[in-house]
Amino acid sequence: MEQIRELERIVEEALNRASSTVQLRELELKYLGKSGELTGLMRGIGQLPPEEKPKFGAAVNEAKARLQELLDEKELQLKSGEQAAQFESERIDVTMPGKAPRAGIEHVLQRTINKVKRVMGSMGFVYYESPELEHFRYNFDALNYPPDHPAMDAQDTFYITDDTLLRTQCTAFQGRIFEEVKPPFRFFTVGRTFRNEAVDRTHGHTFHQIDAFMVDEGISLAHLKGTLRAFAREMFGDDAKVRFRPDFFPFVEPGVDYAISTQKLYGGKWVELGGAGLVHPNILERYGIDTERYSGFAFGLGVDRIPMMAYGIDDLRYFLDNDRRFLEQFV
Amino acid sequence: MKMTESMIRDFVQTSKSVPEIGDLLTMTGFEIEEILEVDGELVLDVNIMANRGDGASVLGLAREILAKDREAQPTALYCSLEGGLVLGDEQVADVASQANVTVETDDCTRYACRVFENLTNGESPGWIQDRLKKVGQRPISLLVDLTNYVMLETGQPTHAFDLDKLGSQIVVRQARPGEKLTTLDGTEHELNPQQMMICDGNRPIAAAGVMGGQDTEVSESTTRCLLESAHFDHQSVRRTRKQLGLQTDASYRFERYVDPQGVVRALNRFAQLLKDATGNEPVPGVVDVYPAPPTRQAVRVRTDRCCRLLGMTVTADEIEKYLKDLGNKVVRNGDEFQVTPPTWRIDLVREDDFIEEVGRVHGYEKIPEELPIGSTPVGGVHGADAFYDRVREELLKCGLDQAVSHSMRDLHPLDRKSDRVKVRNPHSPELAYMRNSLLPCLAETLLRNGGKDGHVFETGRVFDAGREFVQLGILAQGALDEVFWQKGSRESADFFSLKGIVQRVMASARVHAQIQTPTDIDPRFHPTRQAVIADFAVLGQIHPDVAEASNLPADTVVAEIDLSRAYEFVEDRVSSRSLFRNPPSRRDIAIVVSKSVPYADIEQQIAGACGDVLERQWLFDVYEGQGIEPGFHSLAIALQFRKAGNFTDEEANQVRDAAVKALESLGAKLR
Repeated sequence: MEQIRELERIVEEALNRASSTVQLRELELKYLGKSGELTGLMRGIGQLPPEEKPKFGAAVNEAKARLQELLDEKELQLKSGEQAAQFESERIDVTMPGKAPRAGIEHVLQRTINKVKRVMGSMGFVYYESPELEHFRYNFDALNYPPDHPAMDAQDTFYITDDTLLRTQCTAFQGRIFEEVKPPFRFFTVGRTFRNEAVDRTHGHTFHQIDAFMVDEGISLAHLKGTLRAFAREMFGDDAKVRFRPDFFPFVEPGVDYAISTQKLYGGKWVELGGAGLVHPNILERYGIDTERYSGFAFGLGVDRIPMMAYGIDDLRYFLDNDRRFLEQFV
Repeated sequence: MKMTESMIRDFVQTSKSVPEIGDLLTMTGFEIEEILEVDGELVLDVNIMANRGDGASVLGLAREILAKDREAQPTALYCSLEGGLVLGDEQVADVASQANVTVETDDCTRYACRVFENLTNGESPGWIQDRLKKVGQRPISLLVDLTNYVMLETGQPTHAFDLDKLGSQIVVRQARPGEKLTTLDGTEHELNPQQMMICDGNRPIAAAGVMGGQDTEVSESTTRCLLESAHFDHQSVRRTRKQLGLQTDASYRFERYVDPQGVVRALNRFAQLLKDATGNEPVPGVVDVYPAPPTRQAVRVRTDRCCRLLGMTVTADEIEKYLKDLGNKVVRNGDEFQVTPPTWRIDLVREDDFIEEVGRVHGYEKIPEELPIGSTPVGGVHGADAFYDRVREELLKCGLDQAVSHSMRDLHPLDRKSDRVKVRNPHSPELAYMRNSLLPCLAETLLRNGGKDGHVFETGRVFDAGREFVQLGILAQGALDEVFWQKGSRESADFFSLKGIVQRVMASARVHAQIQTPTDIDPRFHPTRQAVIADFAVLGQIHPDVAEASNLPADTVVAEIDLSRAYEFVEDRVSSRSLFRNPPSRRDIAIVVSKSVPYADIEQQIAGACGDVLERQWLFDVYEGQGIEPGFHSLAIALQFRKAGNFTDEEANQVRDAAVKALESLGAKLR
């Protein structure tokens, strides 16, 4: 019994002196483990008189449990100090730059076009791409331009040959569709157009347009207005309103110029976006469509102007310059 | 077209302010470009639609205001001009002895003139000069200023000839080959028979509807004047002025159509203003050659169609009123009308043209908003267009920046060899060609952004003679990653990083075609570092000479892919397979093989030899140099097997040995 108490005292002292969890592990091994000294005392139990055996065993176990408890307590104590030191040594400066996986920068015009495609697609309009190098007849004749009309003056044209040109308006896609498809239908396109104009902040020889049209039974200016309103709300803001003003385009009758207004753009001022109207009955007739049964609407607008207005871009020329500093602003 | 406030108020009595009048005109279709203040008076600048020549006059715009503004009243001047301004002497024949007019061309519908004598061509009255100046015109002399002022008021161009400089007769005809005319601006023009001229018997003295000639111009010494007022065909005037390279206020109006019924009115208004200014009376009588006044057909207009197209309710009474207010002759029959348009409106031809008139006056702001119902096709982007979208998306995921650049450009060393499309009237010599490749644009994009460390792509339309198609261009140089402060190398773009991107993009867009060694060398590329995919793509490092010529780093890699053609290789073959739960078994082999053996052949041999159990194989090391015979290299390849049930070591070894054996046919030996 004395042995037990003596060993217990030694262990207790050693535990108290221990200054690291490593030392504790050593002490545990030396005294408390399977081949530890305290366990070793149990081996001497055989020499004891039978009546003392249970008592001795109980005393060893008791001492062992008490010391283990002490050790656990001590370990908890030492561990928190040691971890604190370790954490301190592992400190990083979280304000240093991070490393992001590289993602490509989508061109701001593409982002705009993607949005247009989503919005128009959701209203049942099918995307149709037509050539940039276009026949005179699709660009003008099929759109009801009288031969050599002053309306063409607004469209200074780049010619390739006498009857091929760089399209001055995406509306040129109409004739191609009329030749292929019978109504009812809804189509839209987004593409590049060209006009031989002097270049400045707001004019370029190359720009991008959205053009849409549909032909069905009973289509009216009210449907045009409703569709434009829905389009404007998706593109520019929930409060967008649409205003029509009479205007002339050879391919529509009645023809309008439409403006939108939303608080997000110039504080709600009316901003003219493009031309629209009901598809001219001459065009429907040209393609054998019964104008008593069918009518349609068409509208167009500039793609470039959308981000110009939304982001306050003041120079059209930035778009095709591909300066990364410009493009990364809109990601 | 500019007009002063006083000019409008001469024609219309209204309590509206100038900005209010401007808004009203804008809402009828005549958009106000701006309202300026000039010398204390407001001046409206009105944008005239290309089909509304009648709007290029105070009279015409006054008509619009009166139709739209219920409170506005016409003035006496408006009423007298709208009534034709008859002076009473029109039928007198006195003038015939001084002006003998013959019209020999169908392009002149009407030709009229008056003669004035005992003139002193001094200054015009102050108020006329004042108004001309305010609308941006320079006062010249009494006679010239009056013609200009009458044109502003009525829209009818007139021209004053010095009668003493004219021959005995006026002939309106097409020019004859070899004839010449020196116009007022001092330019001598060679004429051709497509151009209509006013001649005095022997020679052209004015380009009809465009500009007068210098020889017969009125001057300070002019005492007798022949004043011309005519109606010329709009297309003829447009043709002549374009050929002569002239653009005048007169041609602007004729091109857009001038009311033939207003021809004599303009002569009379001139006479009236001249008399007011100087007391001078014209020689009585008007010469008026007008063989066939145009007739206008009545058009049926239905109330129900009107409401249906406008999408709003307009009553038959309203329709009748609006159309009458705009000068149409309206015969009503229940809810239908027979409408004859006024002579100044050639744009009103069909029923729908009149429906626009009704809508415009009734007010487009009253149109409700509705969404179309009925047929609903599946909207959105389909087919090849969806494929192009997919390709763009994947490239962005690969970390490449998108460029969008010009279609018109100059020649460049990276252009493809093809029949080029040239712009006949280029904006400038540097924009004379249509691009046939996107690579030049991408090269310029790299240079614009520092000339290195760029990974960019563009998709867009490119042009060969006879073919326009969608191309993808990729250019990569230097490191994709940005500089980072931790250790780790920034890997530079090379052929294989480019190939990886191309493969990934093609795979994700379901294009089934292999990247192969080319049979024909593309001279723009490094001859031994280029590859092709079928007939639609070429990729590789650029040729050092091309790099030098285009200021690019020599290690720039590019890919040029004909997406229109690549779409023909798209096939959705994706299908799911069942997965084995057993762990895979891996064996690595190292072989020494001649560098002339394509790796693709090695891959194929391994795949063939291992069969279905080969789940993956990948190259993980390449070594050449010490210990390896020159011309040979050592390839370390990992093989991963899997099947239903576990592989024993022996089984795995057997499959590996089969692969090694198969590779012997390529001269490969285990290292």
